[in-house]
Amino acid sequence: MRRVLTALVLGVAAFALAASNVVIVSTWGFNLDLLNKNISDPFFKEYGIRIVRELGNNSDRLTKLIMRKDKPYVDVVHFADYYAALAKEKGLLQPIDVKKLKNYDQLYDFAKDPIGDHYGIAYAVFNYAIVYRTDKVKEPIKSWKDLWREDLKGKIALPDITITQGPAFMMLTNKIWGGKEYDPELKIAFEKIAQIKDDVVTFYRRSSELINLFKMGEVWAAPVARFAWGRLLATGLPLKWVEPEEGSLGFLSVVSIVKGAKHLENAYKYIDFLLSKEVQYREAMDLVDSPVNKLVKVPDEVAQKLTYGEDTIKKLIFYDVNFIVKHRDEWIAKWNEIMGR
Amino acid sequence: MMRKVLFAATLGFVLVFFIVPLTVLVISSFHTGKGFGLSNYVEFFRDGVSRKAFFRSLYMGGTVMLTALLISYPSAMAINSIRKPGVKSFVMALAVLPLMTNPVARTFSWLAVIGREGLINNVLAWMGFGRIKILYTETAVFLGLLQLFTPLMLLSLVSAFENLDEEIVLAAQSLGAGKIATFFKVQLPLTRDGAVMGSLLVFAGATSAYVTPAILGGSRVLMLSTLLYQKAMVVLDWNMAITIAVVMITLTMLVNVLVRISLGRVGT
Repeated sequence: MRRVLTALVLGVAAFALAASNVVIVSTWGFNLDLLNKNISDPFFKEYGIRIVRELGNNSDRLTKLIMRKDKPYVDVVHFADYYAALAKEKGLLQPIDVKKLKNYDQLYDFAKDPIGDHYGIAYAVFNYAIVYRTDKVKEPIKSWKDLWREDLKGKIALPDITITQGPAFMMLTNKIWGGKEYDPELKIAFEKIAQIKDDVVTFYRRSSELINLFKMGEVWAAPVARFAWGRLLATGLPLKWVEPEEGSLGFLSVVSIVKGAKHLENAYKYIDFLLSKEVQYREAMDLVDSPVNKLVKVPDEVAQKLTYGEDTIKKLIFYDVNFIVKHRDEWIAKWNEIMGR
Repeated sequence: MMRKVLFAATLGFVLVFFIVPLTVLVISSFHTGKGFGLSNYVEFFRDGVSRKAFFRSLYMGGTVMLTALLISYPSAMAINSIRKPGVKSFVMALAVLPLMTNPVARTFSWLAVIGREGLINNVLAWMGFGRIKILYTETAVFLGLLQLFTPLMLLSLVSAFENLDEEIVLAAQSLGAGKIATFFKVQLPLTRDGAVMGSLLVFAGATSAYVTPAILGGSRVLMLSTLLYQKAMVVLDWNMAITIAVVMITLTMLVNVLVRISLGRVGT
């Protein structure tokens, strides 16, 4: 009896110890086997800290953070830049003391403080440019403006405003057609969209949808996120990836610390680990994420499927996501109205 | 004793999984920023976009329901007349196949049929007609929903016909009723409950489906279900999302009553 009790006590103690040495990370449910191989296993080996993941898409996980605001369970949260800014605005995050991160100085400048006041650090980047069929589109596409070209009528797809790339695409549209990118009303962009909306095959909401439309010959040209490029190439179609002369749009995956996080020290260790050139390299080689650590070097054949390389990085356009957070709901309402007409 | 236990269990189940959540939902729909009131509903019906989505859902659900009813009656009678049980269950399995395929895959396969480069348009072009736009229109959503929910109607009607005693039909015919008269005076009234049940399932399904209108209709065909998704998942305006949910439930209940009344008159 006594032996059983001792075992029980020991077991509970071990469990408590193990439980204290964790970091709770809220993230997407993709590539989990690769995340374990590239992050969890080496992290445990180095620090003896277990990574416990809570999975879901951006809005589900944001909702959970809001619900548990007073009793946070999660320590570290991964979000697309827009949702990170939204979480910041809702008071769910705490600023990161970047002096505690030894890998911080190795980051590109755009990754250092993407949502302001150090409430988040970008650990991955992807860009958004134009893909087109070289067999169907005779005159090469060079500019974002080409999407409005006569010969592409009825053959293009554009992002729906509700997806991550939608608002930034509208800001860019506003700018290339003669307005300011930071126009709260996006007047010109909405006019330009209204003008071609009937010639757009669809305003897509999923990259899988877009890939299917390309495959079936419905769409010849569209703005595409870099992470979908590999799957598009796999269709075997004659496709070309163009980064327009105005530059391509950049989007970031951001990591933040939740306000009231219980495992704060572990959270810092986790973030620093995530930004290290070793982890960034492993993630890049497995095509999980494109690196933001300047020291990461990958071979050409891998680089071709990532957002990587001096030319690309130099011409990335980033918009202030806090501006988008402030105006997006009005833009969506206006968009619904225009689309319904 | 046993009966009481079963009754309590049923009551508990309905309470926990249906009445309590529904009550919470309805109450929250009256919850406004500053207390309780009708302002969510006022806002919903004042907004042109949501009003349009409301009428589109009503119209779409109604036409899908009626078309499914018209298609399913002859089919259900035909299936019911199959004598070999093996063949019958095979035909039934074929009929419900759309319900068992993955909604995203099923919906994407419609692109191959109704797209500009799809089957229908290729046949039209081959015959010398011009290409027509079906994909990303209301027609596309209608077709997708019809394919998806007709099996529910068919299942309800087939079981209604199975429960119909064939001797009643024979009796009607021996008393001089023709096939048409037999159908309208005998078979239709006696399978009415199946039709009501099927209609309700189809209407509720068609108005609440998300993947089909989202993929086949795109941004230009907003329905209540896609609007609700947008409010809840994109804009995070939960008050409005809840209000839309309550509007959808109310709509389905109203249609239920309407269908009961109108089918109730049939054959009497």
